[in-house]
Amino acid sequence: MFKDLDPILHSQLRLAIMSLLIGVKEAEFTFLKEKTNASAGNLSVQIQKLKEAGYIEITKQFKDNYPQTICKITKQGIKAFEEYVLNLKSYLGK
Amino acid sequence: MEDGNKLSGEESLQLITEMLQKAKASVHERGTSAIMWGTVTAIAGIISFAQVYYKFSIGFDIWLLVLLAIIPQVYISIKEGKEKKFRSHEERAIDAIWIVYGISIAAIIFYINVVPDVTAHFRAAEKNITITELKDFPKYIFSASSLFLILYAIPTLATGIITKFKPMLLGGIVSYILFAISCYTNSTWDMLLLAIAGILNWLIPGLILRKLYLKGRASKNV
Repeated sequence: MFKDLDPILHSQLRLAIMSLLIGVKEAEFTFLKEKTNASAGNLSVQIQKLKEAGYIEITKQFKDNYPQTICKITKQGIKAFEEYVLNLKSYLGK
Repeated sequence: MEDGNKLSGEESLQLITEMLQKAKASVHERGTSAIMWGTVTAIAGIISFAQVYYKFSIGFDIWLLVLLAIIPQVYISIKEGKEKKFRSHEERAIDAIWIVYGISIAAIIFYINVVPDVTAHFRAAEKNITITELKDFPKYIFSASSLFLILYAIPTLATGIITKFKPMLLGGIVSYILFAISCYTNSTWDMLLLAIAGILNWLIPGLILRKLYLKGRASKNV
């Protein structure tokens, strides 16, 4: 049976962020920006939305006197991503 | 990449695959640590072998070089850690394996230095004699190098399996073969086996990693 795809994840940039974060333990904001080719402003907004949904954790710290933002997928985020992929598979009939 | 672009099912799947591959392709080991440890082990092993075989002395224990190598290793770890923009799941597992390896090497060195004397004391006590009266009792561990060869194999093989990096996987397997050989050779030749293990376990895989890293960096800059 087809289930609605999670609207938080069913967006190009947010899905790209989640797909990158599921493959690593944690990643810097600059890494996500480099891999998604998104603008810093747009990326910040989407990361914030994922954080509000409880799908990622954001840690802000300083590294060599420069601010550093580290993103990490949460257990809730992993579950949501897995469900999204399962629903996508059933939607595509795979 | 823009916000809010709605995707078709196929596009979503394609995007997920692309990003997973990008994350995977970002894991580039520089091989610096492997090259350093491989070189140090090879030099220490070859010089130890040469000193006994050709009967000369360099005047100090060459294996101290291995201890000294901890200093640049700390520097390399801090520097590479600072430059990393992400941490993979595999890295965490591999780091844990190599930390446990370091502790185990220290434990084996302790064992080799302590056990012969302790055994001699026990043997003397069993015979109701003093330790000075104990004759023809070897105060060393037979084939101690074999223990190091087993230890070399464990993290190397595990890293090779986790990262699916064949040169390290083969290096680990070769270490077990060298261990089997070392059970039949004397301590002089064991030193040469340790050197061979250092070259095959770390130096060659390290050089391959370095080559791949430089190749990856060059293609990025094109």
